[in-house]
Amino acid sequence: MLSVEVTDMSVLSIGLLFAVVTLLIMFSGISIAFALGIVAIIFMYFFMPASSLDTVAQNVYEEMSSITLMSIPLFILKGAAIGRSRAGKDLYDALHVWMGKVPGGLGVANVFACALFAAMAGSSPATCSAIGSAGIPEMRKRGYSPGFAAGIIAAGGTLGILLPPSITMILYSVAAEQSLGRLFLAAIGPGIMLVLFFSVYTIYRFRKEYSVAYKAYEIDKSPNPILDRQTYTMQQKMGSLPRVLPFLVLLIGVMVALYGGYATPAETAGLGAVFAFLLIAVIYKMWRFKDLYPLLDITIRESAMLMFIIGMSLLFANVMSYLHLSQSAAQAIVDLNTSRWVLLAAILLMVIVLGFFLPPVSIILMTSPIFLPPLRAAGFDLIWFGVVMTIVMETGLIHPPVGLNIFVIKNIAPDITLKEIIYGVMPFVVIMLFAVVLLCVFPEIATGLSNWVMGAPLV
Amino acid sequence: MMSILVSADRLMSAVNKFLVVLGSIALMAAALILSYSVMSRGLFHAANDWQDEAALFCLVGVTFLCSSYVQEKRGHIGISAIEGLLPHPVNKVRGIVIDIISCLFFAFFSIKTWDLLHEAWVDGQVTNSTWAPPLWIPYSMMFTGMMLLTFQLFLQIFIRKAVVSDVVSGGH
Repeated sequence: MLSVEVTDMSVLSIGLLFAVVTLLIMFSGISIAFALGIVAIIFMYFFMPASSLDTVAQNVYEEMSSITLMSIPLFILKGAAIGRSRAGKDLYDALHVWMGKVPGGLGVANVFACALFAAMAGSSPATCSAIGSAGIPEMRKRGYSPGFAAGIIAAGGTLGILLPPSITMILYSVAAEQSLGRLFLAAIGPGIMLVLFFSVYTIYRFRKEYSVAYKAYEIDKSPNPILDRQTYTMQQKMGSLPRVLPFLVLLIGVMVALYGGYATPAETAGLGAVFAFLLIAVIYKMWRFKDLYPLLDITIRESAMLMFIIGMSLLFANVMSYLHLSQSAAQAIVDLNTSRWVLLAAILLMVIVLGFFLPPVSIILMTSPIFLPPLRAAGFDLIWFGVVMTIVMETGLIHPPVGLNIFVIKNIAPDITLKEIIYGVMPFVVIMLFAVVLLCVFPEIATGLSNWVMGAPLV
Repeated sequence: MMSILVSADRLMSAVNKFLVVLGSIALMAAALILSYSVMSRGLFHAANDWQDEAALFCLVGVTFLCSSYVQEKRGHIGISAIEGLLPHPVNKVRGIVIDIISCLFFAFFSIKTWDLLHEAWVDGQVTNSTWAPPLWIPYSMMFTGMMLLTFQLFLQIFIRKAVVSDVVSGGH
């Protein structure tokens, strides 16, 4: 009998076979969710008791029927309501007016708009699309180089998977069995740090482009819009506020509901979605079914796609666990007895490589059973690691070969070449990796706020 | 034969559209139920014994019942690394093989979901909560969704439409 013969195989052989089959099926181009399910079924058939195949549907349902996981469609709904309305443009306009006096204020306004929008919408590509469609043409009109403008938006958009309510963080909390509230809080400090770093770089780069343009002007009097100063009256500044303040109240209200103990994460998602719909109905008069249908449609498409990946990833992880693959891989990593920093670097490198092919949700669910036990054994705080891992995965959204945000930018500004976009985002990738190093040296940047609000975690 | 498949595809498309409307209502219902849960607890100190589970059932319904619609739009993302490396005829065959394998997988999954539903119905299984609603409710949505997804995949083996992918998807 085949099943008897193969059970004699060593864990290492099964593990290698598992990895090869997974890679082959995934690279065939089949949907990630389907690929994970198919690999799980194949290995259940050959290596697990026949009864395991009978409970496959029940396993998927039980894994998915967590109210925390099921809050994901509601967070997507809230994000879609804000993302598909004019809120992004209004937010960007308001920040632009208020930051007029800062050198490179337009670029900095775009960074801040991305951060605030990301915190409301919770999605990187949606942030890129919403802020970039208004911000990139405006920056280019004002003389910013195309690559610089694209880099600001692509990098700013990545904050969507870091700042709460990040779907990536929700999944990490489930996979790592860590407090979601604590994770959300831990992401705020690094998120603000990245916003500040992006802003400082934006000012530096603006000054550089300004000085090049000024020198050219001195030589041949060639005009460049980057040299024009723009000023706004107080009336214009105040006039920009009424449309954006309600959304900022929503953003803060959601956090208060969650951390004030008034609502669970799932309830916060529901409440946030309802209020986002009320706001777009009142402010943008979007209340007819034809107005709301596109955002409900995109929510359904993204939610079903993500929930299928999650359900099948959990089934895949269950099979790995039953076959002792994840435990053995974790033990093998522990047995290497490497320095904890080498271990961390190796794991983060692996995350970067996986980010070439897989979305963050799959990376988290597939690798957590392998990576987290050695990290815990090495004394790393898993809340802190969740933040670090998310920043590393953020870089995957803007660096080649995949870099989803690069393609979002290419979609909204087709005349900017891929080369210009890639050159534009590279300094931001370096900044993000520098932020990771800083987080390693000063972990309190992440854990400080969560420990202060929720107390030190129980060991 | 082909005309039957084309008619079935049109019918499936109409069913998918209806399910998206139903899914939209379920999504909004879930959001409203959870909001009500916060309000009723905060204002009237009411116990929350049914809200989480009711919202969960709505969201399970959205996920499974709308999966065939997502597949119709080719919205379940995959790794397209080798797509650009292969010549068109090979890519076409690759696409058909992928759809056949996916269809077989979900046919198997549908059978297992039917077993689950049947068992829950016959045994009168309920959830573990104090509200204890019958489990055939979510299982029936799961079964219907998986059947429709299988059928959608079956149709896509024969009817291959070009679909514009939404670049914004998949960045979570």
